[in-house]
Amino acid sequence: MNIEDLELPRQTHEIFNILARGQFISSNGTKDGMSRLYDVLNDPQNFEKLQSYFGVLKYKIEKGNNYFYFSKINEPPSITEKKLETFEKYIDIIDLFASLDNKITIGARVRPSEIAEECNANVRLKQKLAKIPLYRSENFLNKIREICQMLDRDSFFELEDEASETYKVLDAYGYLLEVINAITIFGQPPSPEHTITNPPDIDIDINPN
Amino acid sequence: MQISINDILSTLYYSREAIEYLFAKKDNVSISQLKSETQLSEEMYHRLKSLEIVYEYENTVVLNDSVIALFEDILQIGEVTPGVIADYILEVKRYISFYQETHHYRFISPIKKYLRRLDKAITREIIKLQKSIDDTYKNESNYRIKLRRLEEYREKRDTLISSIYTLQELLSQNRSTLSISGDAQLYQIIQTLRQNLLENLDYLIEIQTDITDYINKIQYQLDIYQKAQQIKELKDQGLLHFSTNFNEVVANLNPIRFNGHKPPRTKIAIDTLYTDIGQQLCQKIAEKYKVSQLRYRTSAGQLSFNINEKLLDHQILIDNQKLVEKFLQQKEKDLFQFILNYKFPKEVGTLTLDQKLSLFVEILVQYEKQLHFSYRINYITVTDEENRTRKIGYTIIPPQKEKIKQSS
Repeated sequence: MNIEDLELPRQTHEIFNILARGQFISSNGTKDGMSRLYDVLNDPQNFEKLQSYFGVLKYKIEKGNNYFYFSKINEPPSITEKKLETFEKYIDIIDLFASLDNKITIGARVRPSEIAEECNANVRLKQKLAKIPLYRSENFLNKIREICQMLDRDSFFELEDEASETYKVLDAYGYLLEVINAITIFGQPPSPEHTITNPPDIDIDINPN
Repeated sequence: MQISINDILSTLYYSREAIEYLFAKKDNVSISQLKSETQLSEEMYHRLKSLEIVYEYENTVVLNDSVIALFEDILQIGEVTPGVIADYILEVKRYISFYQETHHYRFISPIKKYLRRLDKAITREIIKLQKSIDDTYKNESNYRIKLRRLEEYREKRDTLISSIYTLQELLSQNRSTLSISGDAQLYQIIQTLRQNLLENLDYLIEIQTDITDYINKIQYQLDIYQKAQQIKELKDQGLLHFSTNFNEVVANLNPIRFNGHKPPRTKIAIDTLYTDIGQQLCQKIAEKYKVSQLRYRTSAGQLSFNINEKLLDHQILIDNQKLVEKFLQQKEKDLFQFILNYKFPKEVGTLTLDQKLSLFVEILVQYEKQLHFSYRINYITVTDEENRTRKIGYTIIPPQKEKIKQSS
């Protein structure tokens, strides 16, 4: 069978380039026409074709909640020091974000200067930030910058506006939250296992204070 | 002052740049800012003020709310205002009761007017609602405000639904009254409206799902944040690996990024290596790895005489320059002897006697100026690779030392 017979989408090359670099394709990404690439992948027909096409190279497209990424077929995920270290750092980062007054949620715009300002004004946040192992940065603003750059590199954030240093929180950020959700704390009743696809009815307290 | 529509329209037209600027900025525009940004003349500014198209408060300028509302209505943007619908319904009710009392035709016309308006307004409000909900979810950066606004939209949606029910009821209750009028246009308007109301109800139910979905997504993220804080606490106590299944969860994460997979690298096609770009690449690589023997020879023209074809293959691999340099560094052998006994790199392999001869000749031609010709002939007898004994005469090219000896 020829490649032409598969009628692959025109964007196959771009999709492969992003996914094979280990990055996520998020529905709300804007760089390099990412939302368009998401739409292409989200089309069931295209998805099936690309899945079998990339399958030849032993790549598997994994679908998350509004994002896609690559895993390897026949190579079970491994446990390495580096992987543990990365996710330990992500726990620190998400804990910091969780402690912010204005919580970072998917779709939000994030400015390092604003977070640094909040950290400066709050002793608890200051301590948290000081404890996050970042080797290159000294002051708070640079530390937050480094965190944002790391999230940008791992395609959880996207630098939306360079001039004002504004990052957009992409759908792929949900992957990190799902990792947290998957962790079970022993001796604690398991938290109501909610996934976004099947959300529970929550009575929302819109005025928590 | 008598104001005509013509006045308003022409003023709006001539100051359109300023109006657009004010509409986009909405607040906090100072008079001087407006004049400098939009090149609004003093005269025109006074005109806008006298027609009450703009108001001036303490050195700031704002557009008249009704002008803003006009643009927003046409563009179907801005805040959702379900109150308008209720007002229109009240008007319809009023005129129906007038008609019931008098059966006078003049009350039919306003009924038609308001029903038409209702049809347009309901659709418009729903579109605005959908836009506002999406916009709030995607762009409101403060999550508390985001949740509150989504809740407000949920209430507005409920108001819209109850307005639609009221309108449907009103229409069915007064069906006979309205049909008595025998107005074909009214009948048509009501038919279209009924149809649209049903569609809009469906749409509003979808919107409800969207709102719930968005709110749940935010709540989910907040719940996860709470859990992240608990996990972090355990981590700080050094219990992360013992009190949770963190290691197991991390071990099972499969994105290639976290499993050390590097993006695949494709090899360069051999055909590409023969092109100009390929040659440049090869040179760069050769320089980087100091593989001087692999230097690709660009000009084959230097071999101006008939030379053994087979040798060409090897010549690509032999760096004549290096060979000559090495020859000049040693003292014992003349050039031909040197080449004859030289141990060529493995990549080149063993050279036949003929090939060595050709190489000798080639070097003579190429490095004529650097070499020192003694103009003496030497004869030697060598055995070639086919075990034939051959007598060869060649010109002696001594290394530099002999030349010094000669000159001294």
